[in-house]
Amino acid sequence: MTAPENPTVGIRDSYTEKYGFHDRDQFVFKARRGLDPEVVRGISRMKGEPEWMLEFRLKALETFRKKPMPAWGGDLSHIDFDEIYYYVKPTEQEARSWEDVPADMKRTFDRLGIPEAEQKFLSGVGAQYDSEVVYHRIKENLEKQGVLFLSTDHALRDHEELFRRHFATVIPPTDNKFAALNSAVWSGGSFIYVPKGVRVDVPLQAYFRINTKDMGQFERTLIVVDEGAYVHYVEGCTAPTYSSDSLHSAVVEIVVKAGGRCRYTTIQNWSNNVYNLVTKRAAAYRDATMEWVDGNLGSKLTMKYPAIYLMEPGAHGEVLSIAFAGRGQHQDAGAKAVHVAPHTTSKIVSKSISKDGGRAGYRGLVKVAKGAVECRSTVNCDALILDEASRSDTYPTMEIEEDQVSIGHEATVSKIGDEQLFYLTSRGVPKEEAAAMIVAGFIEPVVKELPMEYAVEMNRLIQLQMEGSVG
Amino acid sequence: MTADTRILAKPVAGGLDAWPALALERARSAGEPAWALEQRRAAAVVAAGLAFPDRRLELWRRTDFGALTLGELDPFAPGLRARNVDDLPPAVIERLAGEASNLGLLVRRNGAVALEQTHPALARQGVVVCSLERALREHPEQLEGRLHALIEPDLDRYAALHQAMRSGGAFVRVPDGVHVELPIRLIHWLDDAGVAAAPATVVVLGRGASATVLEECLSATADGPAFFSGGTEVFVGEDAKLVYGHLQDWGRNVFHYSNQRARVERGGELQWIQTFLGGRMTKTNSYFRLAGADSSVFVHGFMFGDQRQHFDLHTLQQHAAERTTSDLFIKAALKDRARSVYQGMIQVAPGAQRTDAYQANRNLLLSETARADSIPGLEILANDVRCTHGATVGSVDPEQMYYLMARGLPRRDAQRLVVEGFFAPVLDRIPLESVREQLRGVIQAKIG
Repeated sequence: MTAPENPTVGIRDSYTEKYGFHDRDQFVFKARRGLDPEVVRGISRMKGEPEWMLEFRLKALETFRKKPMPAWGGDLSHIDFDEIYYYVKPTEQEARSWEDVPADMKRTFDRLGIPEAEQKFLSGVGAQYDSEVVYHRIKENLEKQGVLFLSTDHALRDHEELFRRHFATVIPPTDNKFAALNSAVWSGGSFIYVPKGVRVDVPLQAYFRINTKDMGQFERTLIVVDEGAYVHYVEGCTAPTYSSDSLHSAVVEIVVKAGGRCRYTTIQNWSNNVYNLVTKRAAAYRDATMEWVDGNLGSKLTMKYPAIYLMEPGAHGEVLSIAFAGRGQHQDAGAKAVHVAPHTTSKIVSKSISKDGGRAGYRGLVKVAKGAVECRSTVNCDALILDEASRSDTYPTMEIEEDQVSIGHEATVSKIGDEQLFYLTSRGVPKEEAAAMIVAGFIEPVVKELPMEYAVEMNRLIQLQMEGSVG
Repeated sequence: MTADTRILAKPVAGGLDAWPALALERARSAGEPAWALEQRRAAAVVAAGLAFPDRRLELWRRTDFGALTLGELDPFAPGLRARNVDDLPPAVIERLAGEASNLGLLVRRNGAVALEQTHPALARQGVVVCSLERALREHPEQLEGRLHALIEPDLDRYAALHQAMRSGGAFVRVPDGVHVELPIRLIHWLDDAGVAAAPATVVVLGRGASATVLEECLSATADGPAFFSGGTEVFVGEDAKLVYGHLQDWGRNVFHYSNQRARVERGGELQWIQTFLGGRMTKTNSYFRLAGADSSVFVHGFMFGDQRQHFDLHTLQQHAAERTTSDLFIKAALKDRARSVYQGMIQVAPGAQRTDAYQANRNLLLSETARADSIPGLEILANDVRCTHGATVGSVDPEQMYYLMARGLPRRDAQRLVVEGFFAPVLDRIPLESVREQLRGVIQAKIG
């Protein structure tokens, strides 16, 4: 295959036009740059939080300071923690109707198609703009069944007991440096509670938008799926294209109780100046199912390994991951399955594509703890490298402390097969289209798990990306 | 009855800190060339600046040599020189199975040479099989630029100490175009507890040459730790073909840490066999560099651990040139409380197009207290490649057991057959029938 002759056209090129715009700066409060206990106290005061939360934050700040930067993964040396705005409050209060969202912000979400999607195919929508959720609404019938879908701040205020019982139980602040940072300065995010036996058949969605330059977004999401309940939560994210870097460091905790099922779908499409360093973990109890569907298209560097702890017999976990790295991007994506209990199963499928000097990879862990007999786990990682300048990495780890188990891992890295290309082109399909078809086929096993509207979008993005990529 | 010829080890006064200067002095009086002395000196400086590796170092995250106190060992324990094969320790005689007269042979005992035996047929072909001590005296020009050239002295403190403390070693050289029919065997023997040995092995095959070299580690189980610090560097010339086997069958008291490197030039082929059966803890880093276009490396290895044995193998398949092929297959079976760590990486350098790389790791857990960690990896910086790895961990396949037991085999025998079958594909690659049979015996005894 020869090098592409045309400059490539791709999602990252059209990004500026479609997502990379920004509103004029608008906020009702903006903390000064940098991080110290005063900034943390300020955030907590502004939110009118209970004392225990302030203490939690301050302790987490200490942990953050003590923990070294990770020496693995991507290059984090350019993050300057002193240059970041840790809290930017966009509006006075969260709206329940789009009419009450300030016009500029509403226009932003209109351009991103959020209100329209809410009408058409969602059960509820949350929209976060910089540090706070500016809009939140759930369909009435769900509210009546006791489903809670709130901003996390709101949940702390109105459902403190339920919130406190689960908060930071899955991911303690000491888990890693960025979980500690989030714990210190968290703001916004979604809180979901689905009561026993309630099935939320239509997805709930949250959309995260960074607008302010040099901003850090630290949303905190907590989902509790009670016994036999089901929910599908979808999150999307974009940001303006700035010349300086932003930081997005979320913590997502999920508890799926006996017989419950949770699916969490992410379409991550940050602009190329965002460091996306996220900790996501779910605990699945007896016969529960947790599924992460994780699409990483954007950001400068993503380090994200959605995890499932299989806590009780019968629990099942799946991670389906797509990572796409174009020019200047490093997607250090992956997954973790930790089999704590016997008779648990997990399945991880990862598809990564690197192009135009991008670097995409899979980093993962499958662990079977002592006593977790009769576990099964399979991991399949496939990578496509589309040109000479790009790179693919696979770093799976398996730690197995039991014998009655079946654990398998397979990974393959290749280019687009000449034979496949030949087959299609010899039947009159132009080469470029053929390559796009092959790539679409490559990611199909994951894309087919997306809600239809997202699958269409994902395919369109990949198609755009492939234009001009085959000489 | 042979008389007990073991030499009792005694710790060095002044402990570990005194080791490098003493080693340097001994090397100087042995007439080592200036560059080799300089290597020792430089490595000693590196070693002094490093702490012993602990779990903060990625390569030492899963293996802890904490139970080994190096300073209590004797790095200068002499070994009795043998007049002929009959003077060797009985276990070595048994391993040679009466074939000693048909080999190129070097036997090392502790830090010294026990027997050097170049077969007349090899001598006629210009093949050198000798101790590294002799090679440094008689062929220093062939070692300069090769000895320690492929092993980074600052890899960790043990690697640095290995170069500072080098206690001789082995040298094999096959001239251009020479095909060696007779197998070449390099045997390391440790007499007793308390011994530390650090031999270096250098194997050089000239252009178009071919040979088979077996490096074997043997000792009887003794009461108290002993340490073997190995360093093997293999140079496979253009279009040369080497079959190399590294067979570790130490007594249960031995800590083994070795670095092994191979560099294969254009069109060269390396077949590498690696087995871990003995020792208390074994850690080996085996790196294969496909330096020339169209070169290939095939690696087959197994580990079989029981009791509290611990094996840690790190492999690297470095594809640095176009149209290179590597194929690696490592199997581990673990009983009792044994533990294995396999960490493997395929690296494809930018421009190493048409690389075909494969890596597989299969782990068989035979008890609920055994543990296997598998960490395969890929780092691919070229696009026109085919790189695949696979790893599995599991117990004995119930279907296989059912099949055998349905045909009347007791459970025990069925399991034995399954485990033997697990190792058979690797065992079959070991070049000498007599060695193969003996290792098969060791495996059977371990299955129990």
